[in-house]
Amino acid sequence: MSERFRSALEQADDQIVAGRAMDGDVDAFAVLVRRYTPMMRAYTQRMLNASSDVDDVVQEAFVTAWQRFGELADPAKVKSWLMRIVSRKAVDRIRAIRPLLDVDDIDSPAPLHATPSQVVEVRAGVAALGAALKELPDAQRECWVLREIGGYSYEEIAEELGIPATTARGLLARARRYMIVRMEEWR
Amino acid sequence: MTDDHEIPEPHRLSLDPTDLDGHTLEELMDYLESGRQPIDPSIEESPGCQLALDALERLQGLGDQLIEADAAAAPEVDASWVDRILDGIALDARAGRRIPFESPDAGIDLGITEGAVRGLIRSAENAVPGLLVGRCRLDGDVTQPGAPIRIEIDASALYGEPILHVADRLRSEVEARLRAHSDLHIDAIDIRITDIREVSSWTEQS
Repeated sequence: MSERFRSALEQADDQIVAGRAMDGDVDAFAVLVRRYTPMMRAYTQRMLNASSDVDDVVQEAFVTAWQRFGELADPAKVKSWLMRIVSRKAVDRIRAIRPLLDVDDIDSPAPLHATPSQVVEVRAGVAALGAALKELPDAQRECWVLREIGGYSYEEIAEELGIPATTARGLLARARRYMIVRMEEWR
Repeated sequence: MTDDHEIPEPHRLSLDPTDLDGHTLEELMDYLESGRQPIDPSIEESPGCQLALDALERLQGLGDQLIEADAAAAPEVDASWVDRILDGIALDARAGRRIPFESPDAGIDLGITEGAVRGLIRSAENAVPGLLVGRCRLDGDVTQPGAPIRIEIDASALYGEPILHVADRLRSEVEARLRAHSDLHIDAIDIRITDIREVSSWTEQS
């Protein structure tokens, strides 16, 4: 493949690139891999709150995407479609490690990761958010990531995590309360 | 707080029902999601609820920003990662339907895959400088020899190229290649230029 062709493909929008990939063009699929790996890794890392399984989860997601391209109705929406797939794979991974979600883990004092010197660095909203997210108990963190990053409804979260929708809503409220209070402390 | 260095603040958000004039954070979340409709005076007139609503609103949209910041801070995707993914996929998974060639001898069964035909269509882009073919669909029963087929092609062109001219060139190129390499009965070739790329992306590279 010529450099010029590769560069043109890199510049093309998702509808073109994903459209080619769906049709079996491996070069176009490689462009999608380069384009969305960072975001899919980031999502998985936030979901698992660990780095160890991230690459395996993202790889599984891409393999599934390639197999199931036929289910993607609109190639322009490939980004959110890939994020849904990686989200599902991450949840699968969580279930494999921890079959039951402990919804009562809420107020177990989460280890505080931030030291005073780090707190100074995390004043910016997004950084503070990321630091607070790491401190959340698993169930709250998973609900928050599915809702705020994955864009899932309460019902969808409930289905993913195998809990009632009201529990999902309650966990989300606790997560938000913790993050608001924690970020407020750092201001 | 027991931290001696903590500067006392007039408002410390706790978001407990006592601070929210009897409302819960769940209720306020629902209220925000309904666009604050219908208006609930007991929420709108409560300073504690207003603080909590403001805090919830500040939190909105930060999730997407967080992931974008994480992704931006991540190292470049290296070639070995791409190879690892590509090594793990089945190349024939996207072959599509089987398209038979018309044969006078019933004992001879020849055909090509839909995926191969799509590859043939994509290769027509080489004859039109700057053009990239996206998705192409073969509309019709390609498994029946002689069935009328309509072809729909998405394509990306370079900024400044006359669209109609580009589309015409691609159409005639696709038509010629399909006629030479398949038995498909092509009724029409519809081309949609859905994407325009900057010229620099094409000319920067030698």
